[in-house]
Amino acid sequence: MGPQHPMTHGLWTLKIKVDGETVVDTEPDLGYIHRGVEKICEARDFTQITTYCDRLCYASANTWSHSYIYAAEDLLGVEVPERAEYIRLIAVELQRIASHLMWLGAYGPDIGNLSIMVWCLREREMMMDLLQELGGSRMHYNFPRIGGVKRDLPHGFSQRAQAKLKLFLNRIQEYEALFDESTVFLVRSQGVGYAKPEEMINHGVSGPNVRAAGVDYDVRWAHPYSVYSELDWQPSVERSSIKGADCYDRYRVRVEEMRMSASMVLQALDKIPGGSETYHEPGDPKIIAKAPSRAPEGTYGSHHFEDSRGESMFYLAGGGEGRGKMPYRVSIRSPMFITIPYAAKCMIGYKVADIPAIMGSFDPCIGETDR
Amino acid sequence: MGKKISAAAQQKAAEELAEAISSIDGVSAELDSRSSGTQVRHTVSATSTPDSWRELAETLAEYHGVDYCSMITGIHWPEANDKTWEVIYHLMRTGVTDPAAIEGVVQPNITDADALIGANVPMEIQISISLPDTREPMVASVQDIWVGADWNEKETWDLVGIDFEGHEGMRRVLNPHETPVGYHPLQKQHKLRYHGFEEMYDDAQGFMRKPADAGKIK
Repeated sequence: MGPQHPMTHGLWTLKIKVDGETVVDTEPDLGYIHRGVEKICEARDFTQITTYCDRLCYASANTWSHSYIYAAEDLLGVEVPERAEYIRLIAVELQRIASHLMWLGAYGPDIGNLSIMVWCLREREMMMDLLQELGGSRMHYNFPRIGGVKRDLPHGFSQRAQAKLKLFLNRIQEYEALFDESTVFLVRSQGVGYAKPEEMINHGVSGPNVRAAGVDYDVRWAHPYSVYSELDWQPSVERSSIKGADCYDRYRVRVEEMRMSASMVLQALDKIPGGSETYHEPGDPKIIAKAPSRAPEGTYGSHHFEDSRGESMFYLAGGGEGRGKMPYRVSIRSPMFITIPYAAKCMIGYKVADIPAIMGSFDPCIGETDR
Repeated sequence: MGKKISAAAQQKAAEELAEAISSIDGVSAELDSRSSGTQVRHTVSATSTPDSWRELAETLAEYHGVDYCSMITGIHWPEANDKTWEVIYHLMRTGVTDPAAIEGVVQPNITDADALIGANVPMEIQISISLPDTREPMVASVQDIWVGADWNEKETWDLVGIDFEGHEGMRRVLNPHETPVGYHPLQKQHKLRYHGFEEMYDDAQGFMRKPADAGKIK
């Protein structure tokens, strides 16, 4: 299957060995859109790299640039103003909703429910409007800066965000009705692609895919960063079956995560220091701290981050060109790069027709996989 | 308020783990407090010799509950004094277990973050291994301990050229399969920027690209 196949959600090949209709062995073949981002970043200074990180994943650009920014702040030793941390949290959680909606919209057609795509993209548009107000563009926001954020919340942002999120929370119920009462969806997603948590962790799989199996492991509380501990939240956990999480559990957990993210944004708008209606000019010390531009040789920075698809991570080594103006090495941990081989193993024993349902439920994104 | 591992518990657990693995020959580990936005997070940072790496990995997995291999990466240091190659491992202790079932109904694992102490605290561990100057850098594979290391090791060999002894099924993953033997793009002799010439901007289409030995041989 692939490189051009609706199952792949991108450009890659899945080699399958079958016995009649049953899958016996699989092997993924990646790298079709390898752009060498890690190498390119070695010749860019620290502020320029954010732009490349946005382009790692078009569906979840903000989480990737934030993931890089936290690692760069660790490398350069920057302390971030609290208000900026709240604004970042809002941006990341809105992006998580948009990313899950994109996934849900793509997963419906995978297993024969075409109308859901249009519904999800309609709500995703609301999230993208909000993100556009923050970052200025529709998909690749380039919003965070080393030490803070590019801009403060614009005037009237919190009212618009509250109105849209409340509308969105109502409309999630429509999706649930459309999915959970659709026989086609249930028949194709229930009882296929079982995955157990311990096995997934051993295979390096994390994020919603693990939480779908009844485990509340989440980088946001296990390795605390940002201001998540100030908000009232619990990781969304799905009650799976004894055999592990199936495709249906992975769908349920993402819907619950969207609810949780919406609630986080609403809480953050309430609690943001200085109030959500004050506006600081770009460059104000309340939203951005001064950061050094060079990292000497021998220093390194790394940060684990809860991306929409699992744990993402950047590793930066200082001391590149221009006496450390550029990194010596940038290494990217992509959750999907590790998850795709596991998802391929998950299919063994099921029918060929189950492959799109199983693969789609792991939320593959090839931009970040191939880097 | 929201769930969070307390910094004090994390610091204590990191100190304990660092002390425990330092007793292995050739391994030195210490608590490493790193910044994270407005917070401090406590991690373990260790260095190991290539010979004791396998023992260290087995100890971590067996006695310290390290169950997750996050990232493996390599760095080529042609100009450094003390090393030419470096392999960096990022491991994690997640404490994830299969949820138990009561009368066939699975009960989700909800952890009480405040009650976690000692070897149950989630922890991140960074291990750096320096390799001497050699044309064929190699370090022991940990594919059989953490399956998640499998594709990480493939990628490190593919991009940086550090091989893993005992790795089964090594192949190109990001570069094309027909990439010449010995070509690993993240080695430092391959440059993006040289003599004021920038390949990305000045010659994006590659029309002016010449072989490295152009003009030198006939």
